[in-house]
This record gives sequence, C-alpha cells and structure tokens, in this order.
Amino acid sequence: MNRRDFVLEIRTEEIPAAALGAARRDLGDRVRDGLTEAGLAAEAVATYATPRRLVVIARGIPERQEDVFSEVLGPPAAAAFDAQGRPTRAAEGFARAQKVDVGDLVVVESPRGPTVSARRVVPGREAAAVLTEVVPRAVGSLSFPKTMRWGNGGASFVRPVRGVLALFGEDVVPLQIHGRPATDRTTGHRVLSDGELEIRSPQEYFEKLRAAWVEPDGETRRTAILESARRLAREVDGSIESDSDLVATLADLVEWPGLVRGSFDAEFLELPEEISTTAMRTHQKYLPIRGKGGLLPHFIAVMDNRDDRKGLIAKGNEWVLNARLADARFFLGEDLKVRLEDRLPDLARLSFQDRLGDYRRKTERLQVLAETVAIAVERPDLVETVRVAARLCKTDLTTHMVKEFTDLQGVVGGIYARREGYPDSVWKAIYDHYRPTSNADEPPRDAASAILSIADRFDSVAGFFLLGLVPSGSKDPYGLRRAAFGIVSIVTGRQWRYDWSAVARQALALHAGTGGASPEDALRALEAFFAERVRNLLERRGHAYDEISAVLNVGAWDFADTADRAAALASARRETGFRSLVLAFKRIRNIVEGEHPDAPSGDLYREDAERALAADFLQARRAIEQLARGRRYGEAMATIASIAPSLDRFFVEVLVNAPDEELRRNRLALLAAIQKEFSRLADFSEMVVEK
Amino acid sequence: MLTLQRLIADLSAFWEGEGCLIEQPYDMPVGAGTMHPATFLRVLGSQPWRCAYVQPSRRPADGRYGENPFRLGKHLQLQVVLKPSPEDAQETYLRSLETLGITLADHDVRFEEDNWESPTLGAWGVGWQVLMDGMEITQFTYFQQAGGIDLSPISAEITYGLERIAMFLSHVNSVYDVMWSETLSYGQVRREEEREMSRYHFEFADAGLASSLLDGYEREARTALAAGLVLPAYEATLACSHQFNVLDARGAVSATDRVGLIRRVRDLACACARAYVAERETARTEAVPEPAAV
Repeated sequence: MNRRDFVLEIRTEEIPAAALGAARRDLGDRVRDGLTEAGLAAEAVATYATPRRLVVIARGIPERQEDVFSEVLGPPAAAAFDAQGRPTRAAEGFARAQKVDVGDLVVVESPRGPTVSARRVVPGREAAAVLTEVVPRAVGSLSFPKTMRWGNGGASFVRPVRGVLALFGEDVVPLQIHGRPATDRTTGHRVLSDGELEIRSPQEYFEKLRAAWVEPDGETRRTAILESARRLAREVDGSIESDSDLVATLADLVEWPGLVRGSFDAEFLELPEEISTTAMRTHQKYLPIRGKGGLLPHFIAVMDNRDDRKGLIAKGNEWVLNARLADARFFLGEDLKVRLEDRLPDLARLSFQDRLGDYRRKTERLQVLAETVAIAVERPDLVETVRVAARLCKTDLTTHMVKEFTDLQGVVGGIYARREGYPDSVWKAIYDHYRPTSNADEPPRDAASAILSIADRFDSVAGFFLLGLVPSGSKDPYGLRRAAFGIVSIVTGRQWRYDWSAVARQALALHAGTGGASPEDALRALEAFFAERVRNLLERRGHAYDEISAVLNVGAWDFADTADRAAALASARRETGFRSLVLAFKRIRNIVEGEHPDAPSGDLYREDAERALAADFLQARRAIEQLARGRRYGEAMATIASIAPSLDRFFVEVLVNAPDEELRRNRLALLAAIQKEFSRLADFSEMVVEK
Repeated sequence: MLTLQRLIADLSAFWEGEGCLIEQPYDMPVGAGTMHPATFLRVLGSQPWRCAYVQPSRRPADGRYGENPFRLGKHLQLQVVLKPSPEDAQETYLRSLETLGITLADHDVRFEEDNWESPTLGAWGVGWQVLMDGMEITQFTYFQQAGGIDLSPISAEITYGLERIAMFLSHVNSVYDVMWSETLSYGQVRREEEREMSRYHFEFADAGLASSLLDGYEREARTALAAGLVLPAYEATLACSHQFNVLDARGAVSATDRVGLIRRVRDLACACARAYVAERETARTEAVPEPAAV
C-alpha cells in the first residue's frame, strides 16, 4: 500500500498562550483517532503550534482504505429458489436490499442449512476524501476555555481562523474549516516576512516556514530561549533562575524567539525584591538576572523578532520597566504613609463576598478562628502572634501595591509589617499566609503562618458552603477545592493531629446570621468535601483506591491521622494473613448486616473455636488499643491480622446460624464486636484481595 | 517632533482613509470610549458601521493630583469601531502604526490575551492587549455582547491609549512631559485640571448630592425609556455611571453598595440596548448607509 504524509495548518489570530498547548495536543489526538477509526492509521503523528497556527503532520497515511469484503446471509436456499432454480420474490427482495444483482447471489452452508448469501466488496475510499471529513470533525470537537465569534460568520473558535493549509503528499485536500477552504498557501512571520508562501509538500513545510522566520516547534523555541537567556545573563556575570512556566509561556507568545537584554536604574534595587521581580516576571514577562550578591539591574526580554538592529526594542522595554518600577516606588512611598493598623477601617469597604460581608468582618472572624487553630495544634505559645497577624493580614488589600501587584497579597503585608517593626513571627505569618497558592506551591514556612493559612481557608470554605456556593463538576469559581486541599496538605505535612470538625463547626458558627444552609447540613457537606481532598492527597502519595476508601470509611476529619492509617494499611496488606483477614471481614459484614446484636456473653460460648476466637479477640483488643493510642498503626494492623487464623477456624468449625436463637445471637454479637473494634483504623472489608 | 495633536491627526486621517466616519467626542463625562453611543449602541443590531473618534475618559478614582507620572483622572482614548469585523482587522491596525512612523520590523509587536469586560454595560469581548516593546499601547477586542445582548455581526473595537503611545514614542518619563503641540506640553495644558479635579473628587465632592443625582438620573432614564426615548434614557444612564464613579472616588461606596449600584446601572444599560434594538427592528428608521468600502 502506498503511503503519503499529510500536513494541516490552521492559521488564526493570536491564540492565548494558556490555551495553545491543549489545543495542539487535542487536535493531534483527534486527527490521529479519526484516521485510525477510518482504517487509515498514520505511522506517526506530530503536532506543532505557534500563537498564529496549529499544525498537525501525520506521516505515512495509506492512500486509500482497504477494500472490505462483506457477506450477508439471507433466506434459506429452499425459499429463495423455486423448483426450477429460478429466484423467488424473496431472493429478489433480498438482493435489492443488499444492492447486489440477483444473479450474483450464492448458496452457502450455514447452521441453518443451505442459505442464500450476498457477497460484496466495499471498495476502500481515497484517503483525501476521508480527510475532508475527519479533519473538520476533529477541529469541531476541540474545546477551549473560552471561544468567540467574529465578522458576520456564525463560526466559533478560540480566535478567528484566517487560513487553512492541507496537503496530502503534493495534493491540496479539498477540506473546509469554519468556511475556509484549504489551500497550499501560508504566510510567514507577521513583520519579518512578506507575502504568501507556497508549500508544495509536507517535507517543504518546515523549511519554508523557517526561512520565513517562523519556528513551528514550540519545544525548539523554548530551548532557544533558555540557551540565549543563559548566555545573555553570563555576559553580565549573572544567571537566570529556573522558571520553566514563564519560559514555556514566552515560547508560546512568539513565532520567532529573539532575546534582548536590558537594564533598569540601579536605584530601583532598593525596592523589595519581591516587588521588582514580580514587576519583571508577572507584569512584563521578563527574566530577572541574579549575580553573586543578589539581583542585578538587568533583565532579559523575549521578542517576536530576529534581532534588535536599532536597539529600539531593548530601549523600549527598559523604558517600560523603569516606569513600572518608578510606579512601584511611588506606591511604596504612598503606602508607607499609612500604618497597617490604621488601614483596618478601610477593610469595611472591601467586599469579601456579597453575603459574607466585608474584609473587616472576615478579619474579626479570623482572629477568633486563628486562636482556636493555635490551640488545636497545641501551640498556645503562638496565640498572641497569630492574633496580631490575623488582625493585620488582610490590610494590605487596601494598599496601592496590592491593587497593582495582586499576586503579592500577603507578601506586601509582610514586608510592610517588617518595616513597621513587628516581630519576625508576626510579619512572616502575614507574608506566607496565602500559601500554598496552588497544589504545586510550598506550604507556609512558619507554624504561625500555617495556623493563619488554615484559619483563613476554613473561614472561606465554611462561608461559601453555608451559602450553597459549592464547587460542582469542573466549576470551582471561588477556588474552594484548592483552599481545602491547602489545609489538608499543611496539616498532614506538619503532622498536626486533630479532629478538624471542631474548627469547621466554629468556622460555621462564626458565620451565624448569614442565612443559607443549617450549620449541621453544611458540616455534613464539608465532611464529604474534605474527605475528597484527603483522597486527592493520598492518591498523590500513590495509595491504591481501596486503601483510601478503607481509611476514609472510618472518618477523615483528622487528616494527618488518616494519612498515617493509609500508610500503615499499605504496608499491612503486604503481610501474610492479610488476605484471609480481609475475606473474613467481608464475610462478617455480610453476616451481621442488618442485625443489631448486644455484647457477646462468655456464658454462651459452646465450641472451642468460639472460645479461642473470643480469647484472642480480647487479648488483641487490649494490645491494639495501646498501639493505636501510641499511633503505632503498623503494629496495630499486624496485631489485627494475627487473629485471622482464629477467625478462619471459627468459620470452619462453628455454625453461626445455630438453631438455638440465643446461641445464634451471641455468635453474631462476637463477630459484630470484632468488626466494630477492629475497624477503627480502617474498614478492612473495603480492601480488594484475590478470592 | 512627535506631538499629541499630530498623533491624533495622523490616526484620524488613517481611519478616515479606511472608510471610517470621524465622530466627535461625546459631550458627557464617560469612563471609556466604549460608552459613546457611537460604540455602545451602534454595535447592536445588524447595520454595518465604521467610525473613529477621540474620547476623553474620566475615571475620578485614578486621579493623582497631577503628581503621578502615569496616572490620570482623565485620559484620551482614540476609539475605532469596525462592524462587522473585517478579515484584515489586525493588519489594518498594524498599518495604522506605520503611519505614525513606526517601522514594525524594528520593534516587537505582540497580541497578548486580554479579554475585556464591563459589568456596568453588560458587555464583554475577547481579544488582546497590543504590546510594543513591552508597552501596552492598544486594546483590541472582538465585542461578543453589549447591554446583555449577543451581538451579530461582531464588531472589532480598537482603543488606542493616546498618552501611553505619545509617552512611548517620545520616550519621556512623565505624561506631563509629552508635547501636546510644538510649544505646549501636556503638563501645561492639563496638569492644573488634574490637580483640581483630584482635590475636588477626593476631598470636596458632595457624596449625598452624587447619590441623589444617581437616584434622580435613574428615574429619568426609566421615564425616558417608558416614553420610548432611547438616547435620552442612555444619556441618563451615562450620568448615573459617572455619579457612581464620583461616589467611588470619594470613598462613599461600601462593599455591599457596590454590587447593587453596578447592577442598577447595568439594568439601565441593558434596557437601553433592548429598546434600541427593538426600535431599529420595528421602525427601520433612517437606515444608515454603509460607509464606502476602501
């Protein structure tokens, strides 16, 4: 079978960098799957993207589908042909339905006896024809965070589609995307290249585009940026910090990555570094340069240009950054005129949430809750620190700096508190209290900050749950999953053992008067919500699904403890005897389901196996209680597993459903007691083992 | 020498050459060029429309007593509306920069995602901020919705920040150093105004008056709407919006008030938009001839 390569390029106006990677991958996947489903699997599919084009190159697509032989059985031969062997109406009808000539029907042997059969060869279609269907369908099935319409058309895409190139070998594939017919033409770089490019084959595509100052491969652009940035930094005896997210974004903002190094006024080095580097990184997407003694007054900017022949680009970027830093210095000067303490009244003008009130009220709640959390984690020594930090931690929301540098909320407050002479413990608590800002971010460094972060998150999550503003599906507009996950990861990271339902209950109580759900309902919803976050955490730690369910079934509110129990369970399941323990527990669960026996009575044991089990149980229970108190869960679980042989023997030798009702109830009671006592660490019956 | 007035003249001439009607600034305080009826109302409905105009945009809360080199309580926008958005909207925009003497190959021009939204107008769009050598010089938006109404056709809105561009092109470090004409600087023309307006809005404006004006104009807008007078209703809406901005600058808008106030203005803007569309569709009054294509 002859094969050819296929190239597809969809040209658009600038696609947001944040949407580009997924668009590229999804398009490649859907084209690949579409081809495979159509029996035209490509030998290799590669995808590329720039802000202005999505590219799929599918190598080695068969030129046409295989012919398909089909056979359909019809009526019995006896009904299809009359005595003279002439086709009957039944045969004619069948032939018509199968679109074959009645004369082409054959008789074959089938389990029903001689039967008429219509045999047909469905010829494979040309790949080019199939592509005209597969590709538009693939493009149509793409989903984006936000789509738009443009011009007069009804088309909807991430950004306006401006052209399509589609070549199968050297032939244009006559497909259409959002009303645009494919051609063999494309365009080069927006300002570095003139006019159209004619592409004669997929092989020519890269060569011609690169000659026209477009690098289609994002990975190549990324590497080029990194290498040039390192070189430019070395020239001023500095280095760049690894910032892979920023470099990846920069690579997706340009078609031809050029780099320039610029400088800013050295006097701005006096600004807090968090502020100047945020101005560079977040606002301007520059890479800061660091020397041995700290930040250098240089930066690296990525441009969509091959060079800066007149030096205008460096000069322009320098001017912009200097202006930004001058602005920051102005804000700093203005902000320092008003102490954080004096900003408290202004918090009343800042809405936290319409119905949950303003930030002044949030601050009041936080002071109470932070104190509770400090006590909960057995750090009464930090109560004073967190109370002061809680009082001040939101005041930076009223500063010029945070209005301009929103990412620096908390950090700015910390910096200002430091300048005002607050103790280290206080300003550091403020500085870090929004951390972790993402599931990948580090937790707060200090205990006081961790306490504040936990209190802040409980307050938000509790408030939104009371109002019924809970995340659903992919929607989590208030970031509550992230907030709750932050609590779970801080608490487990610090091994802060505590039944957090008490804090949740207080957080709900502090929102009294808000209306909405009853605190009891909200608490139940929160329990399930936090259990899911614990599940996420345990999944990240590599725990199996059944281990997670087993520990969550016996309560999740003590997050650190739950994580420990999961770890113990993961090692216990590798022990001999564990399998039979699980099977025994599954059996017990089925037997005692729906029964409500009292405590077992020693007087009613009749069989040896029964007495042995009861004795082992009592002994193990004492040991387990002690081990569990010492949180030696591994040993506790091993001890639980040690009664598996007595359980097995019990099930072999003892008839639970004894004819004597009293005996039957007592045996159930023994099993129920074992199940209850030994399931405090994990619900073993949830575990999956081989039968 | 680059002057602000030359910049305005060159851009206006360029867009006139692209078949745009050259409108005049709206003679009421507005927060953005988008609020001019030549944008907000004209993007509604099916009639083609191309226009350009300068709009002084007032944002009292951004005032800095004439002391901050970048922030102004009133700045100038040059607004272009292209309806329906043409195929070559981006290229045409880039050519407009070339008419200012900018050689694109000597610069870094980028379109970076920046979607625009105006809660008070019930409007949003998708587009970019245009960066030149790291400086935001233009907002480029495909309007998707205005006054709560899904738009069709879609308009392209190009908003040049004139002070920014002038500062950038003349590489001065303060907006007040931009030359407005050959002899007068921006500071000489406007600094005193910035000082006085800041003092007034931050220290003296009567919040009680602003609040009752807002209430009054809201009633007026409803009255005009009931009488089928769309433009007067819209003007009253703009007056409400401005009074809201005055209250905000004065620090008289509490967190809870804010949401409610914005909703009140949006409700009016949406009602005006609906009335405008209904009027156009039923009466078909004075159809605007399509501006000559170039």
